[in-house]
This record gives sequence, structure tokens and C-alpha cells, in this order.
Amino acid sequence: MSGRKKTLLKVIILGDSGVGKTSLMQQFVNNKFSHQYKATIGADFLTKEITIDNNKQVSLQIWDTAGQERFQSLGVAFYRGADCCVLCYDVTNEKSLNNLTSWKDEFLVQSNVTNPQDFPFIIIGNKIDVDDSKKIPSLQKKLQNITNNQLGGLNYPVFETSAKEGINVEAAFEVIAKMALQQEELNDANGHDVSDDYNDAINIHLESEYSGCAC
Amino acid sequence: MSQFLDPTLEVSTPKQSGHKRTESSYSTSYSVLDIYETESPISARSPTTTNNELGDEIMRGLDELEFKDLSNDNTLFASNGSETEINSNSNLNLNLNLNSNSYIEERIEYITPINNITNIKTILSSPYDMYGFKKKSNLSSITPEHYNQWFEQYSQYLLERKQKWLSLMRTNGLNLPNDSTIPTRFPPKSAKVKKLIRKGIPPEWRGNAWFYYAGGYEKLSKHNGLYKEIATNGVKNKDSDVIERDLDRTFPDNKYFKSNDNNEPKMIQSLRRVLTAFAHYKPQIGYCQSLNFLAGLLLLFMNEERSFWMLVILTERIIPNVHSHNLEGVHTDQGVLMLCIKEYINQLWPILGKSFDGQLIAEDKILSNLPPIALVTSPWFMSLFVGVLPIESTLRIWDILWYQGSKTIFRIGLTLFKMSSETNEFQELTSTNSSQNDQVELYQFMQSYPKSLLDPNEVLGNCFKKIGGYGYGSLSQAEIDTCREFVSKQREKLNNKKKNTSIAVTDEERQTLLLGQDVHDVYGFHRSIMILQIK
Repeated sequence: MSGRKKTLLKVIILGDSGVGKTSLMQQFVNNKFSHQYKATIGADFLTKEITIDNNKQVSLQIWDTAGQERFQSLGVAFYRGADCCVLCYDVTNEKSLNNLTSWKDEFLVQSNVTNPQDFPFIIIGNKIDVDDSKKIPSLQKKLQNITNNQLGGLNYPVFETSAKEGINVEAAFEVIAKMALQQEELNDANGHDVSDDYNDAINIHLESEYSGCAC
Repeated sequence: MSQFLDPTLEVSTPKQSGHKRTESSYSTSYSVLDIYETESPISARSPTTTNNELGDEIMRGLDELEFKDLSNDNTLFASNGSETEINSNSNLNLNLNLNSNSYIEERIEYITPINNITNIKTILSSPYDMYGFKKKSNLSSITPEHYNQWFEQYSQYLLERKQKWLSLMRTNGLNLPNDSTIPTRFPPKSAKVKKLIRKGIPPEWRGNAWFYYAGGYEKLSKHNGLYKEIATNGVKNKDSDVIERDLDRTFPDNKYFKSNDNNEPKMIQSLRRVLTAFAHYKPQIGYCQSLNFLAGLLLLFMNEERSFWMLVILTERIIPNVHSHNLEGVHTDQGVLMLCIKEYINQLWPILGKSFDGQLIAEDKILSNLPPIALVTSPWFMSLFVGVLPIESTLRIWDILWYQGSKTIFRIGLTLFKMSSETNEFQELTSTNSSQNDQVELYQFMQSYPKSLLDPNEVLGNCFKKIGGYGYGSLSQAEIDTCREFVSKQREKLNNKKKNTSIAVTDEERQTLLLGQDVHDVYGFHRSIMILQIK
């Protein structure tokens, strides 16, 4: 039923406003950085064809989203069918680090994935190019507290990147692609169809309310 | 210079003024060419600013005087009126209070008026357009050559339109001392004015015209001095961080918003104050991304205080709840837009109404599960087409929006869908059985297509022309209001249902909906709402 091509992998980038989601996507897909990006309203995406494991051709469809919390209510439609979720923070902004857990939770609620326990997430700390003095004090320790905390459950691969200088971006997305491919294969094996549960979250039958009316 | 002076003015103009306190009859236009040619914003702007301040004060003072005196002293209205000229009129005995909170009153003219060949040539040879935006867009394939090709034609159109407006002003007894004067009062709404509005307000008049027709003066006089108070006191609040992050990300492609190495542009400072004051004044909204685009664009056309009140008018009257904490208005208005598409471009619904997996969303679930295409349309409501269409097209839509209200958004929205559906790309994307991939490509196309619509006359012609157009100009505000009410009620029930409370339709509600049938209805839109209701 589902017309999805096997090689299409859907990746969602989440994180607070201003952490550099658009820049990461642009750097990875178009190898460029600009100070000219506008704040993202709604959602945007780019696609890039890459080869992983030497021979596997995949098409990464990367979704960039508005970072302000209230925009999450618009997110339902494109979270669905995601194969990997990238949680981004800004290494100079502690709040953005602390918010990673809620971004993850929000994603799981909205995306309705079948395997929340082992769904592939990855963490990216962006803007490592900035001066050390501006970075979050004892960042590594704080990061460990978040990732090692069994209850918080953010035990995921971490990459520190600079979208501006193109540092580590390629490497991060390669891992993202591999993880996404694994998830995709898992879904196919389970015969999971996205549309099966599409209407579960909100199921309203307007007509049932008017069943008594003869017109 | 002022050959159009009309004796009737002596009676009409000063007496019409119900807003003497804040409104002058005319404000003088200053050439921005001086600013335009220099890269140093500070040195170039200061004199202009002072001029304007002085000008405003003088105009305010003049309002108290006999209008005849004005007409006898044309030097005051000269477009390049220098400080010396103004000061030479010290016999007017004006109270020039320049020191109090001058930063809020400061006003720089940012728009290059298209009123002569010299200005047109300046724009043609500049990398920037008449609003300071780079002609070359990062977001579309538009190049400076492309832009100039269009602008050579469009500037002639602007010259023609300006003459029409001058003539409209004259027939309404609102004579301008000369063609460079920017009026602050406009003719009352009428079929004639509406026609002119739809063909575009002269760019340098826009700020004043928007403010006038949107009811800005009423707001301003009701809350005299409030902005100054908030902007001075409420410098920081809980939204400050988010606001700060968006200031430089508002119009990085506009030279007035571009930060230099050391100096923060005045425009960025103004944007910060307006957004912070707004977040303080409307805590139920606070700061919502996209407000930066709205405030930013307003600030190019009017001062901080007026921009602030226009944001208030917008969020209270035109697109209520769109920027609220749960963005409920975005959901509602998009539901309305989807129902509009279903009704008026019915053949498109089977294409646009699909979810990502290619299945058509069931009729009774449209409002709860908006199709993914709603991701494309959310900025249409939140940013009011800023960044969605090229700037002149956006501004022409704003001309109509401030005059005619929210139905404009839906009319234009339908037009954009219809126009895109007539392109080859769209036909190709939808010719095969659509898979998830195609659906996503369609999404991408719908997002990029409007960015290529450089010529506003094409868009607006399609929307409004009675012959050869789509006829969406007939979509009435009453239809939109009824539909909005319907959608928001359904969504409210939906939310209640999630909370397991009763959702039964009351007799009273049914009665209200039935009464809606009486509303005049060109396309049978209300009938369809009823069908959805009762089926």
C-alpha cells in the first residue's frame, strides 16, 4: 500500500530556535554557510543523495523546522514516517542543551513511532567554532549528565559540529544516514505502514454527531 | 510648485481632522537619495531624521493654524526642505520639543520614491531595490537582471498609478502642495478607492495609507503615549532571548537591517523595541517567530509607535490567535483555507488533500488532520506572505489587506494554488499516481513557486479580474467569518473530546449555524458548510 521507496530516508532536525538547524542542513546538502538565513517559519526540507557502506545509495530527505516551542503544534504531519531524529543544541546556550529531552519527548508523542525505546536519535552540539569563553561552562560534564542519565534516556551518539566551518557535519550525517537506514529496514521487516495509525491520534467523526438529523 | 491648491480645502481639511493631537495634514517627504548613495548609515541618516522631526513638529503646529497660511508658504512643503528653510519660519512660534525620548520619534525615510527618471535610474543601477532589499534573492532564481527587466516596466506603471492617486486626492479635496508630499489623510473608503488600492498604493505613501485605512489613528488616539511608556520601561522581558536571536535573522538581505561590524543599525534597535513592547503589551502572545517579519516590514514604512499599533490591530482584528501560544488561529485559518480549496478549486482537492502516504484525508477529518500542504500555508497566515512572495507582490497584497481585512489572505491563497496548478511542473508532479515522494515534491514545488512571482499584477489580476481572472474577489468576509467560527467551534469540540467532556451540539448552536444560510453567498460556500455539518 505504501508507495515509499526503500532508499528514501526521512530525517527530522529539532532543537531550540537559533541553534543552527537551517545552517546544518544547508552545510550538509549544499556545502555552504551564510549569515543570510532567515528565521524558519513552518517547515522546510532539502534532499541529498549519498552512498553509505560503500555501495548503498540512499536519498536523505532532511526536514528543518521552526525552533520556537509553540510551533510544535504544527509539526504532526511531517514527524510521521521519520527514520531518524536529530536533536540539536548550541554549545553556547545551556538552555538549548537542557531542552533536548523535551524535544525528544515531543517527537515521540507526535511521530507515533512503533519503537520509541530504540528509535534512532542523534545529538548534535553546534557552533564549536565560537570562542571557548562563550561556551557552556563544563559542557562535557553537563552533556554526560544528560546522555548517561538512564531515566532521561538520551543515551545517543553525540557529535560536536560547526555548520559555519563545516566541521564534523559530514561525519554526523553519515551516521544519521546509517541509523536511518537501519530503522527503515526494521519498519519494512515489521510490515509497518504509516497510514495504519494515521488517524489514531485524533479521530473525530463529525457525522456521528448529527446522525439524528434527516437532512 | 503647488498648482493644485483648491479653496475648498480651507473649509474641509482642518475640520475633518479628528486626530489633531497626533495627525498632521501633511508630512513632508524627504528624498532618500542621499541615504541611498552612501554606505554609512549614521552620517547619512542623522540630518534626514532631524528634518523629519522638525517637519513633524512643524506640521503638528501648523494644524492649529489657518489652512490658508499653509498654502501661502509653499517652501515648507518642498521635498528637499532644508533645516534653514524650516528655521526661517520661526515666526510660527512652534514648540520644538526635540529632546524627550527622541529615539522613539525618530523617523528615517527608507523608501526611494519612484517619482522621476533619476530615481528609477538609481534603482536600476543599484544592487538594492527601492526598499533596500537585495534584488538578487537567495531563495529563488530571481537575478538582478531579471529584476531590472521587470522593474523597467513596473516603474512606468508606478508613475502612472501615482498620477491616478494624485487625481483621486484632488477630487476628494485633499490637495497636495506638490507631488512629493506624502499625505497622512486619505479619501474615505469607496468603490473607487478600493479599485486604486488593488492597483497599488504609491510605495512612499504606503505606511501612511495602511495606517489610515487599518484604523491606526483611532488606536493611537485611544492610547496616546502608551507605546512610549512601554518601550521606555519594558526593555527586557522573558521573551527577550528569543527576540534577540531573531533580530539579525529578520531581513538579512535588506541593507537597513544589516549589522555592520561595530554599529547596530537603527532598524535593528527599533525592531527590538517594537517586538519587546508588543510581547509586554500582549502577554497572551508574547513573542512569536514571524512577528519579526511583520514588524520589520512595517518599520520600513512607518515609525516604531505606529508599527507597534499596527501589530496590535493585526493580531486583535485581522488574524486573531494566529500567533497565540498554541497557534490555534493558524489551525483554524488553515482549516478555513482547506474548506475554501475544497469548495472553489474542487478539482485540486484530491491532490492537495492527501496525507504524506498518498491517501485522501477523509472529509470528516480535514479539520483535525490538516493535510501536509498546510505546512506550506502556515507562513501565509503567520508572516502574511513576507518571504513567501517577492517583496513587491507581498506589499501589494498588504495594500489590500489593511484596507479589506482577512478575506484578502484567503483570496490570495486560493489564487496561489490555482496559479501553481496551471504550471507544467504541477501537472507533471500530479500526472502519475502519487507516491509519498511525489507528495513531498509537490510540497516543495508549492513552497518555491510563489517566490518566482515577481510581477504583482499577474497575481492580483488573476485574483480580482472579473474577466479573465479567477473571480476570487467574490469570496466575502461574511463567508470567511462564518467559516472561521464553524472551524473554531469544531476544533474546540475536538479539544474537549480529547479531554473526555461532552461534545453534543446544543440546539442553540444548530440554530446559529442554520441562520448562516441567509448570508449572501456567491458560490454556495455556506451550503457546503451545512452539508459538512448535517451529513
